[in-house]
Amino acid sequence: MGKECLEIKDLKKSFGTGEARQDVLRGMNFTVEKGEFCVLLGPSGSGKSTLLNIIGGIDTPDDGFVSINGDKLEEMSEKELTMYRRKHLGYVFQMYNLIPNLNVKENIEVGAYLSDNPLDVEEVITTLGLQDHKYKYPNQLSGGQQQRVSIGRAVVKNPDILLCDEPTGALDYKTSKEILALIEDCNKKYGNTVIMVTHNEAIKNMADHVIKLRDGVVRHNDMNENKIPASDLEW
Amino acid sequence: MRNPLIKRIPRELKTDWHKYLVIIIFMVVMISVISGMYVGHDSMLSAVYSGREELNLEDGSFELSKKASPELIENISTGEKADVRAYYIEKGNKEADKKVAEAIEEKLNEQVTQAIEDGVRAQCAAYGITDEDMIKQQIDAAMEASFDDAIKEAKDSDDYKKAVEDAYNQAHDEVIKKVDEEWDEVADRYNLNDADFVPAPVTIYEHFYREEAEDNNNDGIEDATIRIYKSDSEIDKASFNEGRAPVSDNEIAIDRMHADNVGVKIGDTITVGGKEFEVVGLLSYVNYLTLHESNTDLMFDAFGFDVAMVTPEAFTKLTSRIHYSYAFIYVDNPETKIEKADASENFLKSLITQTLVQDNEIKDYLPEYLRQASNFAVSDIEGDSVGASILCYILIGVIAFIFAIIISNTIDKEASVIGTLRASGYSRTELVIHYMSMPVIVTIIGAVIGNILGYTAFKNLAVYMYYNSYSLPTCQAVWSNAALVKTTIIPLMLMFFINLFVIVRKLQLSPLKFLRHDLVKTKRTKARRLPRWSFIRRFRLRILFQNMPNYLILIFGVILVELMLCFAFGLPDSLDHYAKEAPNMMFAQYQYMLMDYQDEDGEIIDTSEETAERFNMTELLYPKKKSTFREGMGSGGDESVTVYGIKNGSEYITLDKETNNGGAYISTAFAKKFGLSEGDTIPLNAEYENKSYEFSVTGIIDYDGGIAVFLDSDSFKDIFDVADDEFSGYFSRNEITDIDEQYIATVITSEDITKVTTQLMHSFGMFVDVFKYALIVLAASLIYLLAKIIIERNEHSISMVKILGFMNGEIGSLYIVPTAIVVVLFSIISFGAGYYLMIWIFHAFMLQMDGYFGFYMSVSSMILSILYLLIGYSFVSLMDYLRIKRIPLDVALKNIE
Repeated sequence: MGKECLEIKDLKKSFGTGEARQDVLRGMNFTVEKGEFCVLLGPSGSGKSTLLNIIGGIDTPDDGFVSINGDKLEEMSEKELTMYRRKHLGYVFQMYNLIPNLNVKENIEVGAYLSDNPLDVEEVITTLGLQDHKYKYPNQLSGGQQQRVSIGRAVVKNPDILLCDEPTGALDYKTSKEILALIEDCNKKYGNTVIMVTHNEAIKNMADHVIKLRDGVVRHNDMNENKIPASDLEW
Repeated sequence: MRNPLIKRIPRELKTDWHKYLVIIIFMVVMISVISGMYVGHDSMLSAVYSGREELNLEDGSFELSKKASPELIENISTGEKADVRAYYIEKGNKEADKKVAEAIEEKLNEQVTQAIEDGVRAQCAAYGITDEDMIKQQIDAAMEASFDDAIKEAKDSDDYKKAVEDAYNQAHDEVIKKVDEEWDEVADRYNLNDADFVPAPVTIYEHFYREEAEDNNNDGIEDATIRIYKSDSEIDKASFNEGRAPVSDNEIAIDRMHADNVGVKIGDTITVGGKEFEVVGLLSYVNYLTLHESNTDLMFDAFGFDVAMVTPEAFTKLTSRIHYSYAFIYVDNPETKIEKADASENFLKSLITQTLVQDNEIKDYLPEYLRQASNFAVSDIEGDSVGASILCYILIGVIAFIFAIIISNTIDKEASVIGTLRASGYSRTELVIHYMSMPVIVTIIGAVIGNILGYTAFKNLAVYMYYNSYSLPTCQAVWSNAALVKTTIIPLMLMFFINLFVIVRKLQLSPLKFLRHDLVKTKRTKARRLPRWSFIRRFRLRILFQNMPNYLILIFGVILVELMLCFAFGLPDSLDHYAKEAPNMMFAQYQYMLMDYQDEDGEIIDTSEETAERFNMTELLYPKKKSTFREGMGSGGDESVTVYGIKNGSEYITLDKETNNGGAYISTAFAKKFGLSEGDTIPLNAEYENKSYEFSVTGIIDYDGGIAVFLDSDSFKDIFDVADDEFSGYFSRNEITDIDEQYIATVITSEDITKVTTQLMHSFGMFVDVFKYALIVLAASLIYLLAKIIIERNEHSISMVKILGFMNGEIGSLYIVPTAIVVVLFSIISFGAGYYLMIWIFHAFMLQMDGYFGFYMSVSSMILSILYLLIGYSFVSLMDYLRIKRIPLDVALKNIE
């Protein structure tokens, strides 16, 4: 840690026009350092998912910029953005969005295929505890298992940044903790920067860096000196 | 690393096998049937064309009254005209000389006799002899004594010599004068002084034949006329479909089609000319692809006429008279129609003059390009790919439509996956390639199977249908570019580009939109207000509104289904209707076409039949617009137009106005086919000459029987430079019995017209049936696919309402009833749309053909085509209901796509 990985500067984004206009991001500033586990915390409508999408290069800001390792996303062409996502990002969504007619291993290979230096697929499967399920299809898995596969698909790319959008949003308490522990393990083991969007206050305790959003601005931007392992989280 | 997405493809094929199977079946049926038709068609034509070379097809033939001398053959071969004038003069001089010599001899005898008698009488008078008996005795004695010397003396005299010379000269002058007078008439008649004459040298082959009675069941009753050629003929040879050529005197090979029609097989014995022969071969003569006995026959007769081959020895033993027929081939092969016509015309001049100077007589002359027996089948085959073309284009449209909806459906269904893959860094191109691969693979599978079937089973079916109609040679499947392009390349390209367009367009959306399932560009902001109906009714209405785009696709699909059904039912109806209406399309009960308007003696061929009315007629060509349709098979040439010259006040065709100012009436068929109306200008060209005419349409005559132009007789004669008393034939209400048959080229009665349409039905009918069943299968597949897509799209909601506690019956009424309402409501509207679309398509394709008949559907066919759709749909609804029953409850709950 210590090297700046992500910089957000005066980021603004609104939806709609006229009276229906809604300012979702209203000048947001922060930085995230390489290898950090950063949690973006906020209630529904605080703009956290929009922010994550902009960081992920699948949405664009109205104003301000996002810079990753010194490269500004707004200056990238669409092709460059695709390459940026391909080479540097891993995505985990609340909905797992697995490909139904590919099995667990193949769904993870979908991520590995995109990377120049992917992790070993088998190793990732073991790390995720999916050894016994690797030839199963998504519809044969529980929600938690599916989310593990989706994390595997993102992690196997060995991305610089792992973006997680409410990865436990659809899961129960126990499974949520397992998933969080997995992400934590990956962060430690592979050294990826993790940016996780959540509305669950408890999760902030496992993060290195906690950014609280409300009404489209950063309300708190704190480093967590007393972080605890995911397995110890309670809510 | 290989793209792991590839692994999806075989699994998707496996999971959705019924959907892809239907598409593959659709492709296979379409490609195999149409490709089979094209390949059969092209193979047949190729066999015919190569047969023309290999079997040495003549360029023309002529028959003489007696066997030609070697000198005559040699002279005709040069293609040069004989000097007929010199021949006549020489012949005249010989006759004149003979007559002059006789006359001189007679005159001299008379004069010498008179001189001797006068001398004797003068001497008798001097001696006072008055007794007449004595005087006569003296005269007889003087005659006896000095007549010969007197004659000799007279002949030696200069006066005599001069007189004789004068007489001969005068006679020769008379001969020349007479020949010149007659020559002008002959030369005019045969255009022998044509300045453009170019000799057309030919190679001549003896091609003698005999015509005997054929008794094919040996019951002593003549069943057919059989035209017999020798097996060693070097021209117009035969190909053997079965068996071999005869080698012994009691063997015969007969026409395949005739044998088929009358049930004669190899090994059977038939009686020809009272002699029994064993049938050892079934053949197809290159110049008898259809059994036209005479070139003027409107229709061939494969029952009552046959052609055969026997050994030269057997030929010699037959007893009927030999027809001294000769066939020829040009030394310099003319290419175009006009060149052929010119060569034929030039050769005819040589033939006429050479036979004349050799004291032979032409009985028949026919250039090959006008020969019905070798050209009728070819032009018929060339033209009859129209049905296949129409079907092909309709089906290509349907396939394109199916692929477009399937692919768009797939993308909608997989929106989240696409969003995730895009967000993970998959490029648009990678996804385009991925989503393109399935339709490409499915089409290729369909195309490969379809083509294999097309080149085998369906080609054989098409060839079988042709064999059913004509005496065609055996054929090998040939590679058909048209088939490949129309049935495979075009559907593949169409499928490729439609999918590419739909996929690229859909994938333009941002990954975020895919993740949010936000795939519709415009969104309705306010919910529709519904009347206070029961909940279920309102729910159903909501489903209807929600699925509006799907229903629009369904409606479009139903229109396509109706279009296919209209074609399936309408094509046989149209042919049937034409066959039924044809007799009503006659101008007159009888239409006699004469060989010439004068008989051999130059007398006008007249009749005492009161209802007979003379008319003039000629054939011209109407240039068709050059369109893309015209390329490839069945494009036909320019339209052949019959121009009639009609008597003023005609009983048969009423022209309201005179047509002397470049005006002309046209038939309704002409007007409908080319969209012509009053005041339009129609250019017409002569087929074999470089002449063009232009007419403005004065009016339209209600006549659907052909593409015709009507002029009043005066204008006709004026425009086409026809003599005042010249005419082409008679219209008549009653049969004309007092014109010698040799002067009649053709008689068209309503029976003949029916015969033509019956033949048309016979040739075309089987294609029509194949098309009909193929289309019904395809229509059923289409409606199945469309209904399946609607249920698939609503799978999630159906699962949800199941969870909520709705019964399968209620869900069925929610999801199937709106579809049923849409299908029933639009079946009639779609029928209308399909019907009018079919009329338009039919018309567009008719433009390629010669002649015209409009699209027609009987009321019962109309009702049936709607009923078929509804019956088909009710089966599909049942399947839909079963499908709804099978949708599991967890579809709505499981977080999988």
